[in-house]
Amino acid sequence: MLISDLFRLSFHNLLLHKIRSLLTSLGIIFGVGSVIAMLAISEGAKKQALDQIAEMGIDKIIVFTQKPSLVGESQNTTQSALLTYGLTEQNENHLREFDNISDITTLRHARKVITRGTTRLDLKLVSTTLNFLDETKCQLVEGRWLSPIDMANKSLVCVVGRNVKRKLFRLGKGSLIGQKIPIQGAVFEIVGIIENNIGTQFPDLNSPNDMILIPTTTSNAIFSYCGIDYSGGGRFGDLFHVEYDIMLVKVTDVAYIEHTAERINSYLLKNHKKSKDWGIKVPLELLQQQEHTQNIFTIVMGSIASISLIVGGIGIMNIMLANVYERRKEIGTRRALGAKKNDILRQFLIETIFLTAQGGMIGIVLGISLSKIVTYYAQWPVVFSPWSIILSIMISGIVGVVFGTYPAWKAAQQNPIDALRTE
Amino acid sequence: MSNSKIKKQMQTSNEIVRFENIEKTYYLGKLEVPVLKGIDLVFKKGEFIGIMGASGSGKSTLLNVLGLLDVPTAGKYFLLNQEVENFSDNHMAELRNSSIGFIFQSFNLFPHLTVEQNIEVPMVYSEIPKKKRRKRARELADRVGLGHRLTHRPTELSGGECQRIAIARALSNNPSFLLADEPTGNLDEKTSHEILDILHDLHQNKETTIVMITHDPEVECIFDRIFHLRDGIIDKRTEAGGEKC
Repeated sequence: MLISDLFRLSFHNLLLHKIRSLLTSLGIIFGVGSVIAMLAISEGAKKQALDQIAEMGIDKIIVFTQKPSLVGESQNTTQSALLTYGLTEQNENHLREFDNISDITTLRHARKVITRGTTRLDLKLVSTTLNFLDETKCQLVEGRWLSPIDMANKSLVCVVGRNVKRKLFRLGKGSLIGQKIPIQGAVFEIVGIIENNIGTQFPDLNSPNDMILIPTTTSNAIFSYCGIDYSGGGRFGDLFHVEYDIMLVKVTDVAYIEHTAERINSYLLKNHKKSKDWGIKVPLELLQQQEHTQNIFTIVMGSIASISLIVGGIGIMNIMLANVYERRKEIGTRRALGAKKNDILRQFLIETIFLTAQGGMIGIVLGISLSKIVTYYAQWPVVFSPWSIILSIMISGIVGVVFGTYPAWKAAQQNPIDALRTE
Repeated sequence: MSNSKIKKQMQTSNEIVRFENIEKTYYLGKLEVPVLKGIDLVFKKGEFIGIMGASGSGKSTLLNVLGLLDVPTAGKYFLLNQEVENFSDNHMAELRNSSIGFIFQSFNLFPHLTVEQNIEVPMVYSEIPKKKRRKRARELADRVGLGHRLTHRPTELSGGECQRIAIARALSNNPSFLLADEPTGNLDEKTSHEILDILHDLHQNKETTIVMITHDPEVECIFDRIFHLRDGIIDKRTEAGGEKC
């Protein structure tokens, strides 16, 4: 039998029962649809996560202060004592001498409680240097950024993240620029609003969208380095002294970033012998780790969706077996007219593959529409990779072969006489 | 041996079929059901053979064995001096396709195919290109008088017309012999005569051997020879031109 005739015949047979063919391949349609949608969504999540890290800058090393654990020391002896820990200005100056380090942006959390009425807000008062805006990829949406004059004059000005308005001035409708924020005796005038759309998260400080940023010089002048932390549970909180919470270290050559991170690490190990009160994050490494994690996530999602493909395949096998039984007379007649077992086998196999392939194609459309709907309503980013579509077509073809072989074999094994005898 | 060679041999040799003590037994679980109990016969080229007998006498089984749809349990079946026992399944399929034409009582046309496509089916399995197939199908449809019905489907045709299409289909690959299993069994008298006329015309050309099962004693006259089957053996052999004719 010529291949062209075989294809024509199988196609013809499917068209005979359009509704049945469609219903039969429903399992495949949903299977492929969910594979496509799952992969698109997880690829989207991956891209988002990677973008966040990449936007933080793959040319950055984040060095941050972390509260040392008090293992080995009695809580009582330190309770009322001043805790001094974390990154210092001396560290910054030393690091500036290093090769391959071009710039350092520093952030310090003033650890002031910001309230609206009596409600404590999760806003952070952060003092920073002028290069913060560029180095964190934040955008100025209104007003201006802190200026060198503010720095020099130690001005009482602040730039706020975009969430501050909603949290601090819930009812205010007008512009925030020029509004005043009183914080522990000092009153800061808002000069600008920034936003960060890429979801940057700093260790302990979270998103710039929730920050009230003031010049370092102002902070140093009116607040001491000391702060009170109530999170320890003590009645009066812990009094401590931290100079810098975060140093964003920008490297000159990304190729040696790991080496530079290693050197910063060994320098800090030597310089902070007392306790491990700092940490290092390299976004590039995070990026690689995240990519790995997301790949696993994608595989898991894909596998779960593939189960529905297998279920769809079993459904098709079931229908095809019934189909073979129903068409025994046709099989018998074809055999009498000269069809070889192989011709019958191929006919039924190709019918099944056609079924799964058309299911696959409809499934791709369904999957893409599903993902679009998800994007529209849930605002999740989705990414269609061509390989997920190729993969789906291949899988549905393979499902066709795997689950079509048995019914096709069964059809070929029909005894022509028995088959002819059925009415 | 290649198909065309066998076909050529069939055409040159006078003897088409030889049965030597053919037996066929079916096994229903442990129960043995002998259907053919030693059949000897020889068909020659161009003969019109009738096979008659009561229900259950083994007529259909004999036809199935003849048509290579079934293999005998014992005995020897020579198709042109070639012993069928040695044929592979594929080879038998090729022979059914090229050398044997089947005509069934219930026509066995494919309801979703047009008249033209139905006639083409055996040619599809012998891989004849589409244009050639189409041409041949039209010739055959004309020959059975249905050239004007090419694009109709079997459901739109009468029983007699269906059987004529089935005959056209059986002839499509120029078979050496036709096997007809009660071809008029489902038809009224008038249409039966039309069908028999077509078969008779074929017989007149002396090209094709025709083996036909029938219940109808009225048609005896058109056969060259008649085999009467009873309980799996040939009970009586009648030569042409019996006393009725």
